[in-house]
Amino acid sequence: MKSLCTILSFLFSLGALWGQHTVTGTVTSATGEPLIGVNILIKGTGNGTATDIDGTYSIAVPDEKAVLVFTYTGFKGKELVPGALTTLDVVLDEDVELIDEVVVIGYGTQKKSDLTGAISTIKSDEVKRVPSANVEQILQGKVAGVQVTPVSGRPGEGAVVRIRGVGTLNDASPLYVVDGMLLDDISFLNPNDIASIEVLKDASATAIYGSRGANGVVIVSTNQGANHQARFNFSSYYASQQVVRQIDMVNGTEFATLANEVATNEGRKPLFADPEKYGVGTNWQDVIFQTAPIQNYQISANGGNDNVLYNISVNHFDQEGIVRGSRYQRTTVRINNEYSLRKNIKVGHNISLIASKNDYEANVIGMAYQAEPIIPVFDSLGNFADATVRIPVGNPEVSIFYNYNKGNGLRTVGNTYLEAKLLKYFTFKSNFGLDIQQGRSKRYTPVFEVTPTSLQRNEQSSLSVNSDRSNSWLWENTMSFYREWTNHRLNVLGGVTAQEYVFESLGGSRINFPGDTPEFYYLNAGETDGQTNYNTSYEWAMLSYLGRINYTFKDRYLLTASFRADGSSRFGKNNRYGYFPSFAVGWNITNEPFMSSIPLFSRLKLRASWGQIGNDKIGAYAGRPTVTSNLIAVFGRNEAIQNGASIVSLANPDIRWEETTQSNAGFEFGLLDNRLQGNLDYYVRTTNDILVNVPIPEYIGADASPVINAAKVRNQGLDFNVSWRESKGKFDYEIGILGSTVNNEVLALGEGQEEIFGGGLGVGGLLGTRTVVGLPIGAFYGYKVDGLYQNQSDLESYPVQGSEVPGDLRFVDTNNDGVITTADRTYIGSPIPSLIYGFNLSAGYAGFDLAVDFNGQYGNKIINAKKMARFGTYNFEASYLNRWTGEGTSDSEPRVTNGGHNYEFSERFVEDGSFMRLRTIQFGYTLPDQVTSRIKFSSIRFYASGTNLVTWTKYSGYTPEITNASSIIAVGIDQGVYPIAKVITFGLDANF
Amino acid sequence: MKSIHQSIILAGLLLMIPLQGCQDLLEKKPLGQLTSDNFFQNETHALWATNAVYNLLRNWEVHVFSYIGMTDIVSDDADKGSTPNDANFLLEIDDFTYDAGNLAMSTVWSGYFRGIYRANLAIDNIPNIDMNENLKARYIAENKFLRAYFYFTLVRWFGDLPLILKPLTPDEYKQPRVPAADVYAAIIQDLQDAADVLPDSYPATETGRATRGAANAYLAKVYLTIGDFGKAEEFAMKVINSGVYGLFPDYAKLFLPEGENSIESVFEVQSTALDIGGAGSQYNEVQGVRGVPNLGWGFNRPSDDLIAEFERGDPRRDATILYVGEVLPDGSAYVQDNPEIVGERYNQKAWVPEHTGGNGNGPGNIRLFRYAEVLLIAAEALNENGNTAQALTYLNMVRARARGGKAVLPDVTLTDKSTLRNAIWHERRVELGMEQHRWFDLLRQGRADQVMAKLKPKFTAGKNELFPIPQSEIDLSGGQMTQNPGY
Repeated sequence: MKSLCTILSFLFSLGALWGQHTVTGTVTSATGEPLIGVNILIKGTGNGTATDIDGTYSIAVPDEKAVLVFTYTGFKGKELVPGALTTLDVVLDEDVELIDEVVVIGYGTQKKSDLTGAISTIKSDEVKRVPSANVEQILQGKVAGVQVTPVSGRPGEGAVVRIRGVGTLNDASPLYVVDGMLLDDISFLNPNDIASIEVLKDASATAIYGSRGANGVVIVSTNQGANHQARFNFSSYYASQQVVRQIDMVNGTEFATLANEVATNEGRKPLFADPEKYGVGTNWQDVIFQTAPIQNYQISANGGNDNVLYNISVNHFDQEGIVRGSRYQRTTVRINNEYSLRKNIKVGHNISLIASKNDYEANVIGMAYQAEPIIPVFDSLGNFADATVRIPVGNPEVSIFYNYNKGNGLRTVGNTYLEAKLLKYFTFKSNFGLDIQQGRSKRYTPVFEVTPTSLQRNEQSSLSVNSDRSNSWLWENTMSFYREWTNHRLNVLGGVTAQEYVFESLGGSRINFPGDTPEFYYLNAGETDGQTNYNTSYEWAMLSYLGRINYTFKDRYLLTASFRADGSSRFGKNNRYGYFPSFAVGWNITNEPFMSSIPLFSRLKLRASWGQIGNDKIGAYAGRPTVTSNLIAVFGRNEAIQNGASIVSLANPDIRWEETTQSNAGFEFGLLDNRLQGNLDYYVRTTNDILVNVPIPEYIGADASPVINAAKVRNQGLDFNVSWRESKGKFDYEIGILGSTVNNEVLALGEGQEEIFGGGLGVGGLLGTRTVVGLPIGAFYGYKVDGLYQNQSDLESYPVQGSEVPGDLRFVDTNNDGVITTADRTYIGSPIPSLIYGFNLSAGYAGFDLAVDFNGQYGNKIINAKKMARFGTYNFEASYLNRWTGEGTSDSEPRVTNGGHNYEFSERFVEDGSFMRLRTIQFGYTLPDQVTSRIKFSSIRFYASGTNLVTWTKYSGYTPEITNASSIIAVGIDQGVYPIAKVITFGLDANF
Repeated sequence: MKSIHQSIILAGLLLMIPLQGCQDLLEKKPLGQLTSDNFFQNETHALWATNAVYNLLRNWEVHVFSYIGMTDIVSDDADKGSTPNDANFLLEIDDFTYDAGNLAMSTVWSGYFRGIYRANLAIDNIPNIDMNENLKARYIAENKFLRAYFYFTLVRWFGDLPLILKPLTPDEYKQPRVPAADVYAAIIQDLQDAADVLPDSYPATETGRATRGAANAYLAKVYLTIGDFGKAEEFAMKVINSGVYGLFPDYAKLFLPEGENSIESVFEVQSTALDIGGAGSQYNEVQGVRGVPNLGWGFNRPSDDLIAEFERGDPRRDATILYVGEVLPDGSAYVQDNPEIVGERYNQKAWVPEHTGGNGNGPGNIRLFRYAEVLLIAAEALNENGNTAQALTYLNMVRARARGGKAVLPDVTLTDKSTLRNAIWHERRVELGMEQHRWFDLLRQGRADQVMAKLKPKFTAGKNELFPIPQSEIDLSGGQMTQNPGY
């Protein structure tokens, strides 16, 4: 049977058939076996062919100078000139080094073909496509099984990353490993320095990280030096950002009309005699948003010789936010060197120095949503207008004007390592890493009042200064054994690691400053009467033992087993250690002899894994009740203060490890010489003894609830990834699609628990989520709505709660008892998408390149909680214009009120959160070699790109990506977020 | 070969170091703060834990916005006030359209139960401390007094309650409501225990702590509330006969700074405006003039109905209500008209002079229990118990002080039990107006329906006498708690 591959190659080469003569021959390995599917190209053209099942080929060559290029995966390529020959037999040598890609795994690297775990890799060119300070945002839509949700659009702010759904009710973010340093926060990392990112998804891959890997592991490798002459890179981009969309709010006249209707509906006199006179009024969103630039500059040098390899880079990133007054600036220096001290000893370091500045915007996003549109920004005299005459919401312009809230940070993240090869097969590695952070922030408020009657004012100038510092060290010592025999490959790893983290903050405040300009923003300038100070600290430590065996038999059968024991200071003595084993097997079917007769498959692998991992992401002292002091009381005729202190927060001394059992089965395939590639994984992740900070009744009287081991949750689904790539002469392209499904189900709750409520909504803090067995974590819980009561007879014929009048929402009597009660609340949606997907297209032709990425999610719901919280007659979303004003006028938007029946949590406030987004579109042009070589450059590329240009969604808020970094039982609740931006970027990338 | 040996030794050492040196790495103690392991160890800790309960009395959740709404605004004494578009949740209380999701109920619920929890912690732990036994007994008594106070307020708002008299363990978190009568029994027990131990007074540095007089006064009030007039008389008389208290001569000045901790003060929340803040309360701000002068948010507007209750020439009317055009008590400014407020007027008893830290740093002590009220409780109980003459004596003491030497408010001479009862109730309303007593008076007098229904059409008898339990609490109780009727 002829391979499809050969047929296609043959077709592609038809165009060359008129050439001078035909060359035929056989390609074999050094041992004489014929090689099937070897690629043969005529250099400098798109013409080529491939060997057939007998290893023979036939190709028409245009002239005697033609060069034939033979390439074959796993073998060293050859370039030969047949000249006048008509027969040319070729022997290719196996290339052990290049047999396939090497993938970074925990505490080492592995050949991709030997992997038994589910690991996805992203290369640096993909990383650079999104103009962002944050690596997390770059992962969005790039890896099957990974959901990335920006916390907000604030410059410099990160994203919530969830790998394969949500296993824990607690902090569910993955572990980041940057050049061997274990970190929870990678905001310092400059995307331009990244060489590759590996996402470890299944237990076989993550178990070596034990407790730290329960929510998946993201390994980031930064650019390393290489043994060649110095190469320089300069890259820069400029971008312009705008808010993706504004929320559709009513205008001045509409506001006054609706406000009058509220008053009438609630039994008061209308307030505005002539709504028409207010016209369009003020759009406060125009006031707070701006078009904001991003600038990025990077210069790096890379090279080395037999003794030293180096990669040095300097980067400056400067992003203003789309909300006025926000800005993030960061300068990073990275020095990655490796030194060969002796034949068997290498030492190296990866050091990154980071200085950052953060300008925090005034808290105006909610104000712009709530403020009355009938108030101008400035009055007729040019002074700030008072927005607080009727409601306690200030003028956002005033808040922006008087806001001073800035921070700066210094951070050093670095590791040094020593690697020694011993007794031929052993490698010892000792790695010591440090992460030292210092942050400082200042907040100053001058004395001001908008008008003498305004609630928006400040009567004493005040400055607060905070300074914090954290220090984390990690020391890892591993010994590995690696040996190859003819049919066996064995890699054994063992090690000990220790890590400690200490945080301390120190701060104070004073009032009554002599001046309002920044030279006075030092505590000493204020009055000592009224000064305050604080100083707090916490620390944690871990001590771990790890081991792993990788065994490969005949390149076909793969086995991995790993074990890790973690000791954590967060748990009490009795529950201090957790033990985490994993096993995995793999089968490289393509390497079976019988597969040589099926050359269609260039790669086919099955793998399966099982493992247990733990999670200790709880507060440093969650097991121990601590005392809150400064609960002062006043006593005495001269009104003196006395200290007060008590144990106002609860703790759980019996707290123990959360444990996740994960099974994974998958297959990988490559067809047509790997032009079509893909993989499919099925996973089941069950988390037991989930650590939950669940709300407890207020009558217990604690200020904070304890963390308990409370539930068992299962995530299962499919991860898939398919791509097709092809080159035709100067044209090459790649199409990829990836996705993952998540089915999240709570299997059990802890003893005595039948439900876990969460999520405070509306003015009074209604609980909008209810976690119960059989439904997803944090499922929305409220009333179903079946239209409105149109008239009195509707009120009589349908069940009611009691206070309803015509025009009110008609809740569904789900338990059919004839009345509407709280027992009729039911499941009304899940914040967890059932499908997360992305598709990517890239193409290149003669120096031009194009890349288009889409991403999206499907099936999740969002609670529009900002619409629920009406403390008074605030501004209205445009949806209120469709309100009920009499029988038949609406069957969905009730009569307008500020509270009551229609503001109980119901489907009225639940919206579809599905979306698809054109994440990036980038178009680039690389100058031809002739041009660049003339000016002594090796390459110069220009590009333009657009990010978040189009989003298809039904959600009415700024963005359908609503997350919650701190509580998994209150996700998908939009209380008003810093919106994300759409960005247009122009950039340059030059190598010399 | 030598270098290989060295390498092996080095590697061995490096592997061993974490094993040997890091075992105590995992022992981490909380830094900069005490824990349950080392708290409640000495006298100072007992004091701190007790002060932490007093701390809550100035708290936003206990005696500020929602509290005003659920005492004065809900009653016939006051309307919501402020601008019509502000604080919808208080408007719902004023109009009796609130439901179980209302902010005020969830706010006070958590605030008062936090107080109960802190008191429980102290009552549970202080007995084990090795310290001065007298002081130990007093601290426990103070905590019992405060626990009783929190429960007394809650039970009148919500009726049946979870009765929690010690810190709960996780398996006890699901609590049902127990009948209000059981809650009252616990309150009485706590107040009795407190009255047995607490001193009649404190040194000048400790003014504001609970006294025996305060415990007895609350016992009188609790018994009055549950209709036990014999006991109400008994405890009111204990306070009167203690000789500790008297009436402050000038009614209007009683609510100014000079009236703080006066001879009339039985229990009041201590508050002061320090430059650093943290010792004031927002009680004054939420009720302060909105507009010019800019003193606050303007809530709790004295109602027309309250104004009509004052007898002709009663000086207390002017001391209670601050009108537009009126000069402030310290003469610093006059109240200018705010066009956004309909029928603008304010609670003058919540007014405080200029102070440091802005309006939110209010220095006004919150007068929770005045001797005048003790006299009126005594009068009411005595009348019910048939001792008319003595009832009139105490009633007329209050009127005499109020009249301030003017030819108004003549002595009451009624002898019919029922008409005298009405006269005492009238006196309570004008004497204690805008001091957050009225709603509870209407409830215990069984008159809420009769009084409120004609003022507020949405008032529903059999429902609005109790506030709803916050829906979130019913949800979190795992179905143990039930809702009040009608909600």
